[in-house]
Amino acid sequence: MPKIIIDGISLEVEEGMTILKAAERVGVHVPRFCYHPAFVPEGSCRLCYVEIEGCSKLELSCSTVVKDGMNIATRSPRAVAARRSVLEFLLAEHPLDCPICDKAGECKLQDYAWEHGLVESEFREVKEKREKKIPIAARLVLDRERCVLCTRCVRFLEEITATRELGLFERGIRAEVSTYHGELVQTHYSGNLADLCPVGAITDTEFRFKARTWFLAPAESICPLCSRGCHIYIDYHSGFPRQPGSAKVYRIRPRVNDAVNGPWICDMGRYGFVDRQQNNRWSKLCWNKRDPKTELNWEKALDLIAARIRSLREGEGKPPGRITMILTSWLTNEELYLIKKMFQQELNVTDIYFADPKPGAGDDFLLRPERSPNRRGALEMGYDLKPVVMETAVRDTDMLLVFGPFIGESFTAEEMKDVIVDIPAKILITSHESGLESLFDFVLPSAFISEKSGSLTNIDGRIQKFRAAVPQSGSAKPEWEILLELAKALPVFADRLGRWKDPFSIFEDMGKEVPFFGIRT
Amino acid sequence: MSRAFSLALKQKIDETLARYPEKRAALLPVLHLVQNETGFISAEDERTVAALLDIKPIMVREVVTFYTMFNQKPPGRFHIRVCTNLSCSLAGGEKMVDYLKTRLGLQPGQTTPDGKFTLTEVECLGGCDQAPCLMVNFDHFGNLDRDKIERLLESLK
Amino acid sequence: MNAEQKILTRDLGPENLHRIDVYLQNGGYRAVKKALTHCQPGPILEEIKKSGLRGRGGAGFPTGLKWSFVPQETDTGKYLCVNADEGEPGTFKDRFILGHLPHLLIEGVIIASYAVGIPTAYVYIRGEYETLARRLELAIDEAYEKGFLGKDILKSGFDLDLFVHRGAGAYICGEETALLESLEGKRGYPRLKPPFPAKVGLFQKPTVINNIETLANVAPIILYGADWFLSRGLPNEGGTRLFGVSGAVTKPGLYELPVGTGLREIIFTHAGGLKPGRKLKAVIPGGMSAPLLKADEIDIKMDADSVAAVGSMLGSAAIIVIDDRTPILTVLKKIARFYAHESCGQCTPCRLGSAWILKTVDRMAGGEGEPGDIDALARLAANIQGRSLCPLGEAESLSVLSIAHKFRDELEDSLKNRAIIQE
Repeated sequence: MPKIIIDGISLEVEEGMTILKAAERVGVHVPRFCYHPAFVPEGSCRLCYVEIEGCSKLELSCSTVVKDGMNIATRSPRAVAARRSVLEFLLAEHPLDCPICDKAGECKLQDYAWEHGLVESEFREVKEKREKKIPIAARLVLDRERCVLCTRCVRFLEEITATRELGLFERGIRAEVSTYHGELVQTHYSGNLADLCPVGAITDTEFRFKARTWFLAPAESICPLCSRGCHIYIDYHSGFPRQPGSAKVYRIRPRVNDAVNGPWICDMGRYGFVDRQQNNRWSKLCWNKRDPKTELNWEKALDLIAARIRSLREGEGKPPGRITMILTSWLTNEELYLIKKMFQQELNVTDIYFADPKPGAGDDFLLRPERSPNRRGALEMGYDLKPVVMETAVRDTDMLLVFGPFIGESFTAEEMKDVIVDIPAKILITSHESGLESLFDFVLPSAFISEKSGSLTNIDGRIQKFRAAVPQSGSAKPEWEILLELAKALPVFADRLGRWKDPFSIFEDMGKEVPFFGIRT
Repeated sequence: MSRAFSLALKQKIDETLARYPEKRAALLPVLHLVQNETGFISAEDERTVAALLDIKPIMVREVVTFYTMFNQKPPGRFHIRVCTNLSCSLAGGEKMVDYLKTRLGLQPGQTTPDGKFTLTEVECLGGCDQAPCLMVNFDHFGNLDRDKIERLLESLK
Repeated sequence: MNAEQKILTRDLGPENLHRIDVYLQNGGYRAVKKALTHCQPGPILEEIKKSGLRGRGGAGFPTGLKWSFVPQETDTGKYLCVNADEGEPGTFKDRFILGHLPHLLIEGVIIASYAVGIPTAYVYIRGEYETLARRLELAIDEAYEKGFLGKDILKSGFDLDLFVHRGAGAYICGEETALLESLEGKRGYPRLKPPFPAKVGLFQKPTVINNIETLANVAPIILYGADWFLSRGLPNEGGTRLFGVSGAVTKPGLYELPVGTGLREIIFTHAGGLKPGRKLKAVIPGGMSAPLLKADEIDIKMDADSVAAVGSMLGSAAIIVIDDRTPILTVLKKIARFYAHESCGQCTPCRLGSAWILKTVDRMAGGEGEPGDIDALARLAANIQGRSLCPLGEAESLSVLSIAHKFRDELEDSLKNRAIIQE
């Protein structure tokens, strides 16, 4: 194992490791454009020069393998001078777009130029004029003036998706990235191209001109749109200094996790997440029996529901009333655990079904056909994931408790109406509209994944924890909170309520009771 | 507009493919064969060649746009490539270039309206001992002066 | 140099030497016969090493050493690529060999392939040399017919296939790794080294890339021996060079002369000196990639070490003679435009630096130059130097630097007078 020194830090690394990767191990970032950990090193940007003691020439750290005894300086005067000159060349032909460029604030050219003190230009010639708004995918445009020809986009489509939808045409200063005769990039991993681009050459048309990146607070989360559970950042704008009301999630980006999704996410998740976050949300607490769409508060609503449940259990002289539940595997592990304890164990509910989104097409990369994030978690929790057959499921039931909007994918309001009209108590807990809200007595707004904490179990059995990233929408509450408040109102397991303050404390007990969740991720 | 390759061309392409362990390697020779027959490489040709070589059309286009000898639009019947590099210039080449431009009424890259001549400025053609020089299609002509150019142009029918 | 001392051009008397019948009649293919029927590969390689033969394409790397880098094992497949991309401005020697001595080249290819254990060879010929490519293909067909190519050549058990592969107008493809990329059907982008082609080359297999003139010397060396070859040049750099003289001389042309011949002698004795009424201003000694020499710097010997010692290079031995009627700004403009046009665009310094240099030079040549422009050019060139992916950037930077340094006075005058260069 070669022993080397990088910027004065001693370390031992594996045989065959490059200097750039070794430097990252000790927190040293060597500036680079063309290098990306997922691709074969290219060595074309010439930014990653380092100085090796005893070598007369500077070497590219992205493609030079460490040798035992190497003493490397990434910021020696010579290395910095070389890097500075490369940046100067790039800036000379770069448009002064920062004031209108979306990448500002997360632009590598800005960052490196700043680090290297490039403030004044010595370029006295006329800059190249190129096309600035070329559609290259359904939601991406290319700005050729900003492009630094790092070729990451071209290589992504060659080495990762193997679709080769972008190419390099012409030669020399005329060289340009291009689609094939205007054919848009079709791969549903196209969104990664905007992340990959180190500058603002590839931008997302929905994000263009919408928000400055330094007002976005990135929060870690998990994508719930399929069972892969890719790791993401949610970029949230709190509304300051803009007006309140514009607080929202602007975009999600991949978060690197080598075991799950690497540095990528698919477009379905990337664009679908924001769509789900913003659109068709159900945020109002409603009691349809009293007044159409009358609003009331949570305490009152849960008291009423708890009272009804109590009356079903304590009927004098007659058998206990029936409760039918339709769950969804969009619920977190903790929520499914709470339901199991409250309803299965304490209240002896046996009619538990699942309504999930219909499966979609998968691929041989990240996207799974299963369009819900926690079926594995539900299975490991002991549920048998029976799909709901509406007529038989709700026959003769006294209370129907539905979680999630997904029965709306299988049944229209018309179809459901006749079947459930006679059920005395109907409660819907949902984050999104399904068109069925008016059929229920109570509609309780629940949180989207970005607004709650908990854990989900992905297709491979990885238990992935996440924290709430953004505030609740409207009156919505996370399901685990609704369940705990209902438990308090009933009451059940008062002994634990004191301990269960948040999903993390629930997780601990869950791990003790259900061995699968005792595994630490 | 569909343009099928002639049987003879397809045969030459097959022979060429056989010389390489990977079909893609035949791309430049095959593009020359196509261009010798059709004059230029159209988008349709890109797709046809790509299919014959088991590669994607974009890979063909990447090559067509990189190399200066591949035409993306039809050239004149006589493509005049005149050298504008140093040795030819030292031998009076610039005057020949100017003469051609005036005589043909063309700027570099243009074709005469009757489709007869295309004029291109190129770098060193390797004919420096006979500077100044030019090429007409694949033939080299050197030791140029106005008279020689005149006679050459006359002879091109 | 009398005919007896020459190596490549000693037997040019007969017409149609490019036809195998004439070539054989003139004693051709004796070297192949000797090598394949009387010698083993090892000793052939040693003889080439001993001869001190250096690459004649521009880089001047010792040929025997290059061959020896290829691993001995033959199961992975190996290739020989003949670099016939001759694009270095001022160079026209390979054209000569292709036109008059294609069979001498083929002999060299056969012997080299035999020595290294290579079964397949390609001649990468620039697209503009189409008529020469056809002549070479004819010669190769003739060689196959006579059994000098193909299976079990001369019953030696050695197989060799030789194909002609056309380029299409890209100077960068003369760089060995860009040539490999182009041969694989891609854009001519040079590769990072290491790995070197001797280990990872064409189709990822061990590959030797040699210039035409280099290979043309192989048969004579095998026929007459390393000592014979060395005696015709210098003790540490044997043989002759085909010096190509062009520019403002009275007798431009190819002159085969011993390595180490004086530059002044080549220009004034052999090439007839400057055209009437003109004086020498500068000389580019080794093709456009070689830094300029001033008129008072030409008393040097034309061998690799001597030219390097004065800060230039022997390169392709293409001598471009510049006269006093040619503004140095013209020379600068030609150089700047050439490199900007031929830059492949892969690496930042060359792609953007060559364009910036051209824009500055064009502005200067258009009468809009400022006094600081000369320093600016030198700074740009220095920023490309040592930082490009391949030697093209290096060549441009050194070339521009040599002009900015040695002809500063004339450049400053041009700027002051707002001289406009028409070309």
